[in-house]
Amino acid sequence: MSRRTFTRRRFIATTAAASAAAIGFPYIRTSHAAGSLSVGFWDHWVPGANDVLTKICQDWAKKEKVELKIDYITSQGNKIVLTATAEAQARAGHDFLTFQAWDPLDKQDLLEPMDDIVGHLTKVNGAMDPAAQYLTKGKGGHFVGVPAVTGTQVKPPCARLDLFKKVGVDILEMYPTLKAPTKASENWNWETLLSAAEKLQKEGHPVGLGLGQTTDSVDWVGSMFASFGAEMVNAKGDITIKHSDGVKQGLEYMQKLVKVMPRDVFAWDDASNNKYIISGQGSMIMNPPSAYAVAKRDNPKVAEHLYTFEMPKGPQGRFAPYLPFIWGVWKFSKNKSAAKSLLQTIWQKENVEKLVNGSIGYDIPSFASQRSFKVWEQVEPPKGAVFHYPPKGDQKIWMACSPAPVAIANQMYVQGFMTKLIAQCTQGGMSIAQAIDWGAKELEGYQRS
Amino acid sequence: MAAVLPRSRATAAARGGGLRRVMRRKSTLAFLMALPLIVLIGALVVYPALYSVHLATLNKSMERFVGFGNFTFLFKRDLFWMVVKQSVIFAVTAVVFKALIGFCVAHFVHNVPAKGQRKWRGMLLIPWVIPPAMSTLAWFWLFDPSYSAFNWLFAHVGLPSITWLGDPYWARFSVILVNVWYGAPFFLIMYLAALKSVPEQLYEAAAIDGANWWQKIWYVTLPMMRNIISITVLFSLIVTFANFDIVRILTSGGPIDQTHIFATWAFKLGIEGNDIPLGASVSLFMFPILAIAAIFILRDINRRGNEA
Amino acid sequence: MNPAEIQAAVLEAPSAGKAKTGSTRRDRKRALYWSYFFLVLFVVFFLTPPIYMMITSLKSSAEIGAITNPWWVYAPTLENYWALLGSEQYLTFFKNSAIVSVVVVIITMLISIPAAFALARMKFWGSAALGMGVFLTYLIPETLLFIPLFKIFAWVQETLGIEVMNHYWVLMVIYPTLTVPFCTWIMIGYFASIPKELDEAALIDGASYLQILTKIFIPVALPGIIAATIFAFTVSWADFLYPMAFTTSADQLVLPAGIVTILIRGDVYAWGQIMAGCLLGALPPLLIYAFLMDYYIAGLTAGATKG
Repeated sequence: MSRRTFTRRRFIATTAAASAAAIGFPYIRTSHAAGSLSVGFWDHWVPGANDVLTKICQDWAKKEKVELKIDYITSQGNKIVLTATAEAQARAGHDFLTFQAWDPLDKQDLLEPMDDIVGHLTKVNGAMDPAAQYLTKGKGGHFVGVPAVTGTQVKPPCARLDLFKKVGVDILEMYPTLKAPTKASENWNWETLLSAAEKLQKEGHPVGLGLGQTTDSVDWVGSMFASFGAEMVNAKGDITIKHSDGVKQGLEYMQKLVKVMPRDVFAWDDASNNKYIISGQGSMIMNPPSAYAVAKRDNPKVAEHLYTFEMPKGPQGRFAPYLPFIWGVWKFSKNKSAAKSLLQTIWQKENVEKLVNGSIGYDIPSFASQRSFKVWEQVEPPKGAVFHYPPKGDQKIWMACSPAPVAIANQMYVQGFMTKLIAQCTQGGMSIAQAIDWGAKELEGYQRS
Repeated sequence: MAAVLPRSRATAAARGGGLRRVMRRKSTLAFLMALPLIVLIGALVVYPALYSVHLATLNKSMERFVGFGNFTFLFKRDLFWMVVKQSVIFAVTAVVFKALIGFCVAHFVHNVPAKGQRKWRGMLLIPWVIPPAMSTLAWFWLFDPSYSAFNWLFAHVGLPSITWLGDPYWARFSVILVNVWYGAPFFLIMYLAALKSVPEQLYEAAAIDGANWWQKIWYVTLPMMRNIISITVLFSLIVTFANFDIVRILTSGGPIDQTHIFATWAFKLGIEGNDIPLGASVSLFMFPILAIAAIFILRDINRRGNEA
Repeated sequence: MNPAEIQAAVLEAPSAGKAKTGSTRRDRKRALYWSYFFLVLFVVFFLTPPIYMMITSLKSSAEIGAITNPWWVYAPTLENYWALLGSEQYLTFFKNSAIVSVVVVIITMLISIPAAFALARMKFWGSAALGMGVFLTYLIPETLLFIPLFKIFAWVQETLGIEVMNHYWVLMVIYPTLTVPFCTWIMIGYFASIPKELDEAALIDGASYLQILTKIFIPVALPGIIAATIFAFTVSWADFLYPMAFTTSADQLVLPAGIVTILIRGDVYAWGQIMAGCLLGALPPLLIYAFLMDYYIAGLTAGATKG
């Protein structure tokens, strides 16, 4: 009798196990994954932009008879970085993934060389932006990724024309509609920004520049420091923060600017500045046109005054905060040829144009020859809203945390080092010298290997 | 009973070797029944914990053995000590308030006539039933810099708005507040059950002797509930100390890392920062503190077991 | 005055209860009013977030953006709910959560009940140590284990080829570590309180241990089993850290991780939808709680009072 009950119990247990297995049986990877491809793209902030990319990919998949699986991964909560890290650790995941900023070079040992694609693209389109080359060329001169069409962006000021006019700054005079910047734009520097910000705060519409730890905050701060000539870690990897005058000047400036900005900018994530300007409260943020796109949909009264133009000029020049997304193929991918074929298809000129149009000009192609699409003239209201968005003229594209070596730069970038540095001598109550000392110690920590 | 005994002894004697077989079968059977538990805990708790110790001795790229190198590295970092301090403050403050609120509200519910107690209990336990990730999102929206419903109320009565998540001190307050909100109902329920088991006559006797409500609590309630209080407090200290959800969703470590606790910092370093050994080292630091708490709980349980 | 002395005093004064009824009744009434007052305050505190969630979820994006009174809905709409219920992504989260939770509950019960029975009733070599060990593992939090588990799963995937990373079925393997210790502890408490005479009588009648378990213990301890089931379900439904660490693709996420990582985007006005998503996501535990509240509470407090 006992033996019967024992086996009955066993039966129940095994049935349960079997049903559990049936629901989610572990998928054992086989070798014939050719003909199927799994890709991870960046989830676009501009509503509807993803659909353009999906269609291009699906058309390609139908033509090549590949079974395609697309994932759109958000950068909110650092998801894109997390996914890349998890897949690097597990040596498994998508075939073709989107990486951000310094990440691809940090993981270059696991990425498939892309010299063939880059070579082809350079032949067709001319030279790639130096900044993009800097971030995709790994050890030994091999390209480990291709700049992504979708998502690669700069973060210049996006401001309310009406509010700035009220405090005496005529943006249209400096950056006229659909025309090149005038001589007046020479006066658009950090000092004029500061005085305008002071007046705007009194008007109840402060300038809102994020000082949190996400890319929206880190990118513009990187450019700000670069325009003062600050160098925190040099190309060799030495910590030079203590000897750099530019750092001191940048911090002095920020101490003044923080006083006239909302107090919670230190907690802002990538969505906060969008929310700030769309609500009508903010007078300026530094962002690509995603905020403008959402405002067009949900708060047109605000959107019709939003104008994107160039960064303020610093002593060392004008630097545009650059955030590239980079498409890379893992070395462990089972279908590299399909991945590369898809990449090349997306980079065809007519597809690039479709994507840029779909993002209302948000995406900045990494080839200068592709920056004259009509879309940047056509987006409105207001007329010429994003005409001055793609970097031209005296604006240099700058990747935050340059020229530090990749491992350190990636840490500085992901941990939000520069914004924390600013926070220490403003909200944190330290003096500039103390903050720099703190910074030096932090940087030593990033040298860990 | 006397009639039964000889019979059982007789059958036992008759079974003789069979009885020994039963005994052996019983213990193997018991072992088999406990085996899945042993395997589960061994493979998914003990082994990873030990592996974590091993990981903590490797360098960042996990190729070299560095012994205590990670720990000495952490000890030199100000941020590490700040995280230790923040974790301790967070855990202790939150648990103290949870226990206090639970204790007081348990009394209030206890005072209500028995029939009505059920609906009060029902309403008050809701925070604990909602998954913390989702309720924390509600709090996040309540604290939002531009859209905070609280600030809207404040503006209406003329109070200045608070940067709930942007100011380091307010951020810490907010994180503790949400944790207290989430955990107090648990204390409430435990203390309410314990309150019910305190005999009514003790209170009446104390009343006769002229005790006021405060003395009743001090001399009757607290001693009777001493064990349940210490157990819940210690359990909650451990769980709160290891908390992840609330800080991660509200502040992700907060302005200038001022709300980072062990779990969130380990996540940031280990998974986001791609430095697994360092993340493992940070997590391991929780262990000495948890071990001390475990010793206290064990002593308490043993004491309770001996008393019972 | 310690409890013993008080007890002695009670026994010596049998007529104690009759004294001073008038003022004690007034005292009790005052205590009652104060109690109600504070209870209302605390209920407001505890219920504000869920109510706010509900209010926000009924608002359209336009209404949220207009920054009207956040505590009142002027133009209630169910569009957020319809959008979610029609969203394949959200329904996938729900489905994943449901599958994972149900399976984990089954696994937990299959492990806990026999183990609790063995620990409560049968002595075998190491049973005391195991009992203590079960208890202690409750003190090794998931925040300590998720990093080594991350590496272990990565290794399993790399060397054995079993797709472990970024698949929700891995949660079914890990969640029992969260639920089994506490459920076993609850069950041991319930089983230990069953009088030994019952099993002795059954043994004499020739029953095997397994029959004792299934025919006597489980029926008698059913409230405890229900309580443990509810606990296991709620914990599996709500866990956040493990899914965040181990699953990244949208189709593999469970509700808590899914809502937090996918539903929150740059769009300001999606908050109505996010709150609706949170409420819908909190619905299963809330419903179970509403119908089985007494079992829930009994299970929680069982450990405390039965020990």
